[in-house]
Amino acid sequence: MGEPLLSLEGVSRVYGEEVLVHALRDVSLDIRAGEYLSIVGPSGSGKSTMLGLLGVLDLPSSGTIRIQDVEVNTLPDAERSRLRGQAIGFVFQQFHLVPHLTALGNVETALLYRNLSRKERRRRSLEALELVDLGNRHDHRPVQMSGGEQQRVAIARAIVAEPLVVLADEPTGALDTRNAANVMEIFAGLRSDERAICLVSHDLDVAGATDRRISMRDGEIVGDEWQGSVS
Amino acid sequence: MRRFRELVGVALAGLTARKIRTFLIMLGPILGVAAIVSAIGINESSKGDLKAKLRELGTDLIVANAQDQIGGFGSNPRIPEEATARVARLPDVVSVSATLQLSNIVTLPFAEASDYYRAFPVPVIATTLELPATLEVPLVSGRFLNDYDESSGARVAVIGKDLANEYGYMANEPRSIELNGISYGVVGVLDYVLLEPSMDSAVFITFANAVEDWDIEEPDPSRLYIRAPTNTKYVAEEIPTVVSLGGPDGANTSVPTDLLDAQSQVDENLNNLTKMMGGLALVVGGVGIANVMSISVIQRSSEIGIRRALGHSRGTIALQFLFEALVVGVLGGILGAGTGAGVVWLVSEMRGYTMILSVSGLFRWALVSVAVAVVAGLYPSNKAARLEPLETLRLG
Repeated sequence: MGEPLLSLEGVSRVYGEEVLVHALRDVSLDIRAGEYLSIVGPSGSGKSTMLGLLGVLDLPSSGTIRIQDVEVNTLPDAERSRLRGQAIGFVFQQFHLVPHLTALGNVETALLYRNLSRKERRRRSLEALELVDLGNRHDHRPVQMSGGEQQRVAIARAIVAEPLVVLADEPTGALDTRNAANVMEIFAGLRSDERAICLVSHDLDVAGATDRRISMRDGEIVGDEWQGSVS
Repeated sequence: MRRFRELVGVALAGLTARKIRTFLIMLGPILGVAAIVSAIGINESSKGDLKAKLRELGTDLIVANAQDQIGGFGSNPRIPEEATARVARLPDVVSVSATLQLSNIVTLPFAEASDYYRAFPVPVIATTLELPATLEVPLVSGRFLNDYDESSGARVAVIGKDLANEYGYMANEPRSIELNGISYGVVGVLDYVLLEPSMDSAVFITFANAVEDWDIEEPDPSRLYIRAPTNTKYVAEEIPTVVSLGGPDGANTSVPTDLLDAQSQVDENLNNLTKMMGGLALVVGGVGIANVMSISVIQRSSEIGIRRALGHSRGTIALQFLFEALVVGVLGGILGAGTGAGVVWLVSEMRGYTMILSVSGLFRWALVSVAVAVVAGLYPSNKAARLEPLETLRLG
C-alpha cells in the first residue's frame, strides 16, 4: 500500500453559530492508492459531511486535510479548486448531469480550463464513455437516457481527468437492482494501483463489495475493517 | 486565449439551452439600442435634408424688404434705386439684386388660352440682371436678361421652371407669352429657386420694360437679395441704415437660412430627449438582465455545484455568468443596432429622406449595450460564485 492520497487529520466540522451542531468530531483517516473502501453509517452519522471534506467541497472547523502532501484547507479558492479538479472525481446519487449538455459535453466539462485542445478533450471524453460502455450514446442528452445510463455518464465524468480518488455518494441509491449491480461492476473494474475508490453509502450490500469498510456514528469513526484481500 | 474560448463556449451553451428566456432578456438591450439608433438616425436623416438645403442655399444670403417707416395703411413701400447701389458698395457684399413684383398682370402662354389662364395669376417680377448670380441659381435653358435687353427695352422675359413645364415650353423654343396682351419673347428658363419657390412659376422682365409697359413711375425695387459671404449678420444689421440714411424709406432684413438653422437646433433638443428615453430603455433592459439572470442562478444551482465539484473556481463560475451577460449585451447590441438601422431606412424611404446613419454611432450604442449588460451581470455572477457547492448538490 502506497503513501496516503487523501488524509484527514483530527478533522472536526461544526455547523451553526448560536446552536452548534458537531457533524464530525476529531476524525482522522488516510485513503491510499489502490484502496476500494466504503464509508457507511445511518442517517446523521456524518458520512455526507465526511464526503464534503474528503472532496474539498467544504473546509473543516479544525484539523487538516491533505491531498498527497499538500495541505488544502489553507489554499486560496482558485488553487484549491484546481487541486480538487485534478485529484478528485465525484459521483452523486442524483447524477447531477448538466441537462442541456450531451453525454460527451457533460464528460468534457471535467476537462475545461486545463489548457487542453478541444480535440484532446473530446478524445479523452469519448474514451471515458467507451469505458462505461456508452460510446455510442455520446450525443444523447440526459433526458434521453435511463437512470443507469446517466449514472454511467457521471462515472465517465468522474474518471476522465484521471483523479487520484473517486468519491461516490450513494451511487446506487437512485437505481434499480440491475442497474445498481451494473454500476458496482464498473466501480470494481475501475480499481487500480494508482487510484482509490471511496463509496459513501448506507447500503450494506454496497459496503460489502468493497475491501475496507469505515463505519460512522454520531460524527465519529466507530469501525475500520478490512473485508477482502489488501492489494 | 483557450480559456477565453472555453468560457465563451460554456456561456453560449448556457444561453442556447434556453432560447426563449435568452431572447426575452435580450429584448431589453435590443429595444434600447434600436430606440436610440432609430431616433438619432431618423433625426439625422431629416436634418440631413435640411443641411443639404442649407449647403445649397448658402447661409450668406440676405433678403431686404422695403418697409414704410411711417407704416401707413395701404402703403406700397419701395427701396430707392440709388439705395441698391449703396448696398452694393458695402465691403462684404459681393452681389446685389433688386426685384419688384408687379400686380394685376394677366399672363398667358398665348392669347387663345385666356379663358383658362385668366383665373390663375402668375407673378411678374421686374428684376436687375444679377438675380441668377446673387441667388446662385443656374438657367435650365437659354439665357437671363442682359444689358442689351435693359438698354434697348426689348420685350423679353425669363420664366420659372414650373411655369415652363406648365406651358409645355421646350428648351430654346422661339416662343412668346402675353402679359396683359403685350407679347414678350421667352429667352430662358430659370432653374428652381429653393429659397423663393414662388419664383418657380414667375415671369422675369427688366426694370426698363416695367417702367415702359406698366405704370410704376420709378424703377425702385421692393426687395433686395444680397450675397455677403463674410460678416453676413453684421451686413444684415447695417442694411436698413444704408437704405434709409435717416430718410422715410426703410427696409427690414432677414437671413432665410437662419430659420432652417433654428429648425435643426430644435431637432437637436429632440435628439437629446430621444437619447435619454433610449438610455432609460437600456437601463430597464439592464435591470431585466440582472433580474432574470438572478433567477437563472437559482435554477441552475445544481449545475453550479457540479462545476465547482469538477474543479471550477468561484472566479471561473463568476466569469461564466458574466460571459453570458456579455454575450447577451453583444448580441442585443448588434440586433438592436440592426433593428434601429432598419427602422431608419424604412422611415427614410417612406418620407423621402436621404438616409444618414453613422457607423461609429451604431458601434458606440452597441458598446453601451454591452456595458449595461456586463454591469447588470455583475450581481448574478457574484451570486453564482458565492453558492456553496455542498448546499447545491444535496449529498446523500
